[in-house]
Amino acid sequence: MATASRKLPRSKQPPERKREQILAYALLAPSLLLFLAFTVFPIGFGLYISLHNWRLGPREFLGLGNYVRALTPGSEFWPSLGATLTYSLLAVPFQISIALTLAYLLFQKIRGKSLFRVVMFLPWVTSTVATAAVWARLYSPDIGLINGALRGLGLQPLRWLLEDKGVFTLIANGLGVTLPDWLRGPSLAMVAVVIYTTWVFVGYNMTLFLAGLGNIPGEMYEAAKIDGANGWQLFRHITWPLLSPTTFFVVLITVIGTLKAFNHIWVMTQGDNGTQTASILIYRQFYEFQRAGYASALAFLLSAVILLVTILQNRVAAERVNY
Amino acid sequence: MTRKLIPFVAATAMLMAACAAPAAQAPAPTQAPAPTQAPAPTQAPAPTQAPAPTEAPAPTAEPATGVDAITLSKDKPTEILFWHRYSGGAQKFVEQFVEKFNAENEFGIKVTAEKIDGSYADLYSKINAAIQGGTPPNIAQAYQNQASFYRLDGNVIDLAPFITSKKYGLTQEEINDYFDFFLESDKNPQFPGEVLGWPTSRSAAVLYVNLDWLKELGAEEPPKTLAEFEELACKASDPANERYGLAWQNDISNFAALVFANGGRLLSEDATSYVFNSEAGVEALSLLKRLFENKCAVEIPSAERFGEQTRFAGQKVLFVMASSTGLPFYADAVAKAEKPFRWTYVMFPQKDPAKPVVDIYGASWSVFKSTPEKELASWLFLKAFTEPENIAGWANASGYMAVRKSAAPKAIEMVKNDERYKNFPEAAEAYARLYDMVAFGAVEAPVAGYDPVRKLMSEVVSAVAIKGEGDVKAALDKAVEEANAVLKENAPSSY
Repeated sequence: MATASRKLPRSKQPPERKREQILAYALLAPSLLLFLAFTVFPIGFGLYISLHNWRLGPREFLGLGNYVRALTPGSEFWPSLGATLTYSLLAVPFQISIALTLAYLLFQKIRGKSLFRVVMFLPWVTSTVATAAVWARLYSPDIGLINGALRGLGLQPLRWLLEDKGVFTLIANGLGVTLPDWLRGPSLAMVAVVIYTTWVFVGYNMTLFLAGLGNIPGEMYEAAKIDGANGWQLFRHITWPLLSPTTFFVVLITVIGTLKAFNHIWVMTQGDNGTQTASILIYRQFYEFQRAGYASALAFLLSAVILLVTILQNRVAAERVNY
Repeated sequence: MTRKLIPFVAATAMLMAACAAPAAQAPAPTQAPAPTQAPAPTQAPAPTQAPAPTEAPAPTAEPATGVDAITLSKDKPTEILFWHRYSGGAQKFVEQFVEKFNAENEFGIKVTAEKIDGSYADLYSKINAAIQGGTPPNIAQAYQNQASFYRLDGNVIDLAPFITSKKYGLTQEEINDYFDFFLESDKNPQFPGEVLGWPTSRSAAVLYVNLDWLKELGAEEPPKTLAEFEELACKASDPANERYGLAWQNDISNFAALVFANGGRLLSEDATSYVFNSEAGVEALSLLKRLFENKCAVEIPSAERFGEQTRFAGQKVLFVMASSTGLPFYADAVAKAEKPFRWTYVMFPQKDPAKPVVDIYGASWSVFKSTPEKELASWLFLKAFTEPENIAGWANASGYMAVRKSAAPKAIEMVKNDERYKNFPEAAEAYARLYDMVAFGAVEAPVAGYDPVRKLMSEVVSAVAIKGEGDVKAALDKAVEEANAVLKENAPSSY
């Protein structure tokens, strides 16, 4: 019936159908207007700004000048993109694997699992700025608790957030070996930020995994157990494939989140010591240098990178996710 | 219309790319010659006198022109908005003053004072956004370089016509009562003859010293020369027990103070180029490098608030370079310490104590372009706030120096009688000596674009002095080259 009515010319549609359509558009209108006003138009206007030398107002039309400047070899955009990808590549595997492990453990029948779930989730609901400031204090080279513990164990204290040397370089130096610069690895400051990030987001990802685990039918496990499957086989052949939609979703949002991370990095390092990610660079160009045009161009470039990564993830995941 | 949309649009464009899911507002970058950030004092003396209204002049035969031609009336109140970031006692003082001014001024001026949470950088960002949105405040705190940036687009006004106005301005006697250096610091070589802000608060980069520890080291008095300073800092250091000679927070005003102490400057006199790669700059950076190399100094991470005060109070550091406005906060921190000790602050040691140069800074109050009536009302508010009777109380409440000579003795007296310094007489004495430093004052760089230059300088200090990477002179040369590009980008001639 509905198919038949769709085939009718618009003018011949029954009045009732027209009324329905008008009502639908009327109901959509507020959201649509808000979407146009607060999403579409700003993006368009942001694009317009990015085509100008724009300080407190437009100075001159540059065309793609800001984009060319950002993409020119040697510009600050490339190192910041490198720092962003490094951060993402370090943070995502840690977050996902730890979250999945915790979720799997807390999905079992163990005592106090509700308490553990709450405890693990707490960092995510606590103010990022506050917890980042506390962690910065923990990382303090001279009075921080972490170095205090290292000293207690007879180990050398580290500079943590103040250290721009690569972690591989530091390890090699400790062993009396000199590494070439290209093998330096991420800065210790970056690793320190990643440790914090993992602490914050593991609880959130764990909760998503727990929801995914809850959706796997229990009969499958029972049947597999009757067939003699052990714990690893249960996980490998039932949990992992049936959890793949959740895993895909968690990976997707975690990757996007890390690519645009800002708050805690700013609080902990202000982008110093190898932690100037693209978001930090955009912020500095906008607020410190007052280069709104250039900052907008950088923001669009970062958006393009995120979009590209997301498309790639979708393509790769399409064949591996079992819906 | 277009301008009103800009902040919103720009923010959305950035958000689209750069906002994490659990977004929380990020603090703004550390910048500008900021006084020590610490909780403000709790006691705030009330304004001692009602704002002195400007008396209406006797009618003259000649028609009034310019500023004198503007009239304000109680029948038609003029409302103005004032943005500041004062907290604690200073905020309370400002609010009490505003209340009193609103009740008693004869011009029908109604001031609304709004506190902007965050740092000076946050205030700067907010004002820039408000300018683009077409809704800046009428008055706001602004460092000289920030006022210059606003001025590039004509957003702040020149106060000179108001100061010289026969009807609303200041007499020569009144002008002479302000410390010359403070008035001069609001003049910008890029905008000759213009006054882009009015000095309400100034402080100096000083050296906080633990006097008891100094005595243990065999020194009778704080160091006067840089050589003595270095020697004592290294003598005090005991890295194994996390005790150091100097606590260094990479605030570039501290580096500027070191450059000045070596007889140099940051910006050329005509403001056409940065010159901190001079011999004085090299010596300043080299000194810092030696202090870190020899483990005589400890770096305080930027994320650690009040880290230098905590270490000073815990007797972990002998010296701290910081703003003189930290006086009440250091007093509070030491009073709460496990083992209180004698301490004070002194002029930063000099290469040549016979020719000292002191970094003196402070945000002024700038007036933004609006209607002639609102601009005049803003000026009258500034003028009333800096009346001598008020400014002494303000100095005590805020920890700043009194900006008028006639108010200085009273401000000193208030500090000496202040309960907070009862157990620290040397510290109270230090406030009195602060006024002796004004004669040797120097400003950093009052030009537009100085904020990102501070970041460039900070990166050089961090890389070369703290981490020991690269050559001092080469690093400074490179930083100056980049700083000059920023200066050129923000020069009035580029607009």
